[in-house]
Amino acid sequence: MRGFVIKRLLQAVVVMAAMSVIVFVGVYAIGNPVDIVIPPDATQAIRDEAIRRLGLDRPLWEQYWIFVSNAVQGDFGRSFVYNIPVLELIASRLPATLELVLISVISATVLGVALGVYAGYRPESRISKTIMALSVLGFSVPSFWVGLILILTFAVSLGWLPAGGRGDTVEILGIRWSFLTLDGLSHIALPAINLALFKLAMMIRLARAGTREIMLTDTIKFARAAGLSEATILRRHLLKMISIPIITVFGLELGSTLAFAVVTETIFSWPGVGKLIIDSIYVLDRPVMVAYLILIAALFVTINFTVDLVFALIDPRVRARRSA
Amino acid sequence: MKHASKRGFLNATLIGAGFAVAATAAAAQTLTMGVRGGPESMDPHFSALGVHAAAAKHIFDTLVWSGTDLQIEPGLATSWEPIDEDTWEFKLREGVTFHDGSAFTAEDVKFSIERIPVVTGPTTTTIYVRRVAEVEIIDDHTIHIHTDGPASTLPNDFIRLFIVSSEAAADYSTPETAAEGFNSGAATVGTGPYKYVSWEPNGDLVLERFDDYWRGMGAWERVIRQEIPNDSSRLAALKAGQVDVINYVSSVDYLALQNDPDVDSVIGDSVYIMNLQLDQRDQTPKVYDNDGNVMAENPLQNPLVREAFDLAIDRDTMVEIVLEGLGQPANQLMPPGFFGSNEGIPGKTYDPERSRELLAEAGYPDGFEIDLFCTSDRLPGDGAICQGLGQMFTQVGIDTNVNAISRTVYFPAQAAQEYSVFMNGWGTLTGEASYTLGGLAHSNDPDLGLGAFNRVRYVNEDVDRLLQEGATTLDADARRAMYEEAMALIVADRAYIPVVQLQTVWAARAGAYTFEPRFDEDTLAFFIRPAN
Repeated sequence: MRGFVIKRLLQAVVVMAAMSVIVFVGVYAIGNPVDIVIPPDATQAIRDEAIRRLGLDRPLWEQYWIFVSNAVQGDFGRSFVYNIPVLELIASRLPATLELVLISVISATVLGVALGVYAGYRPESRISKTIMALSVLGFSVPSFWVGLILILTFAVSLGWLPAGGRGDTVEILGIRWSFLTLDGLSHIALPAINLALFKLAMMIRLARAGTREIMLTDTIKFARAAGLSEATILRRHLLKMISIPIITVFGLELGSTLAFAVVTETIFSWPGVGKLIIDSIYVLDRPVMVAYLILIAALFVTINFTVDLVFALIDPRVRARRSA
Repeated sequence: MKHASKRGFLNATLIGAGFAVAATAAAAQTLTMGVRGGPESMDPHFSALGVHAAAAKHIFDTLVWSGTDLQIEPGLATSWEPIDEDTWEFKLREGVTFHDGSAFTAEDVKFSIERIPVVTGPTTTTIYVRRVAEVEIIDDHTIHIHTDGPASTLPNDFIRLFIVSSEAAADYSTPETAAEGFNSGAATVGTGPYKYVSWEPNGDLVLERFDDYWRGMGAWERVIRQEIPNDSSRLAALKAGQVDVINYVSSVDYLALQNDPDVDSVIGDSVYIMNLQLDQRDQTPKVYDNDGNVMAENPLQNPLVREAFDLAIDRDTMVEIVLEGLGQPANQLMPPGFFGSNEGIPGKTYDPERSRELLAEAGYPDGFEIDLFCTSDRLPGDGAICQGLGQMFTQVGIDTNVNAISRTVYFPAQAAQEYSVFMNGWGTLTGEASYTLGGLAHSNDPDLGLGAFNRVRYVNEDVDRLLQEGATTLDADARRAMYEEAMALIVADRAYIPVVQLQTVWAARAGAYTFEPRFDEDTLAFFIRPAN
């Protein structure tokens, strides 16, 4: 197990280093941010001064070297746009994204697995057919459109829920959370539903496919022969056996939603990191773009690592292969 | 040039009078505004961006105020005049206090001007003080600004020069401490109509009324500026009653709002004019002959070809169909009524027949092929106008490949002169011609600081001469005449072909508010009043 962990860690370092080069060069290639942000009546001298201040007059390799040596010490620089440290900026937006994503991914998974297992266990029932039909809808309707329809229905026409923003927050451990207040919850409901729909559909399909396959296996037949109740079979055997693909997808979805909840955040004016990165791309705020993409790479590496560890815990076959 | 324009001054008086009534009528109220963009910092000197200045105007004041039509009026300075070739005297308003109760004096002006070059961000605010050589305090309410040579437009430069408190900001005036001091509120002390309460980057700016404001008390006790960048979401927030007023309603939504009894919309002319720009270099990269090869000589240098482009544009269709009526045909580089706009320039005509003839006369009976580049995400309708232009040019025989792209790609490439035919908006944010013509139409001359945005390498020696003389002529009428003449020459040369002037739409809950749209598109709480 220890060898496995060390190997994974080394891989992570290589991935991160490669990622930092790709991101840095890519962002550099887009163009000079000064051309976008400089006011039209600036003179050449003012322009040169701005370029020098931002360190953009140095060659690429030198800029990269400065970035890496600072980043290793935990300093990702200051945002061109907000003039505050990038990490502080990202950290101030992360809780908003985190609570939104966790609520939507977890509820999508719990609900999706329950519905999916039912649909797989009784594939012929009318309810199952309805569930599957709805899941196709969840897949195929674009999420920005669903978001707008949700706003139109629940905020504009019915007036039940707010159209956007984060609402009241409570401060816990110096971080502001909105899911702990009633007003905050009412704000989080629509964006969470919007974000969850696609994932819900996917979880339903995964769980159903897994259930249909497992129900035909010898394990289930023997369990039935042994006289176990259907509830016990489902809980103890089936859930465990369909969980591997579900956990993989759960991990990946968690990561990609955290990183790229952009559409939902924009439509619902949710002040999360997705909105931050899009705004930064529009003004070529290089320090924020680079730091963010590198943090996202770190996030994926961590999630994949955790998923592998969880496999080992759940599935004895995986554990055995690794220790061998 | 004591008071800029009579009209502007009259406006200010009327608005002031309206306020005395409004302020008593609706005292304990909150105004929530949904805006597309917000400030980058609470330090007003950090960024020259329009949205940044619009937010700063709630908390801070400027010496020179620019009115709804962008013509200058007294602000914290009551009057100004040149006393010799390179000195301007500003008389400061007496009896003005900062939010912390301290008095506003000449010391605060000097401090603010000297602070700018130190704390500015990349969207540099040094453009406001680029002509200032030295600030001399004569007494508490008189200052002399010494400039590097005659600076005729100095008062115009000062319309976004915000005055901060020299006491409150004293410890927060280095690049490292400025953001912290101002974002925390410690240094965010101005003389403006509202006091700072809280702000989050990309989030809400919360303000509280300043009761001792020198223009009189604002109508709203509390003001919240919510940033909602998505156009549809902003409108939804208005319809759901979460916000009271929004800016930048899209043209599609505007059509739908016409039938909505719950929402009022207000249309304002914008300072932005879309200009088609034709490269004047001997060699140009993106013009091809009919076999697809880059042409050896640049046809855009031929005045007949440039006129053919101009006549091919159907501006009325562009406004009616492409912009859903939210625009006006443009015939020069600035909106009418601005300092230096020329009323004598005739309206543009649409004549595709003549356009084809001109191409034939110029030696291109079968036309040629161009790549047309435009921004698609900067101003309302820019991408659609681009496609419209492409179709119109193709109809007269100029085979056009339309490239409507993101501004993050467009501007760096445009600066590197990789384009031959391109279009983007230009806003005359200062309301006068030296800003627009000096940047676009003077030949590119870094030493003089002119022509920095002349990306087509347009050169007309008469224009250069007029613009240089204008920049040093302190007499306003003589200067105006020079800019009007330069404008006529530039329009006749057609290296820059104005297409349409844009319009902007605000929306508010029906019957609840009155406000006058501003040319610079700022949404200012102080000037939004409860109806009745």
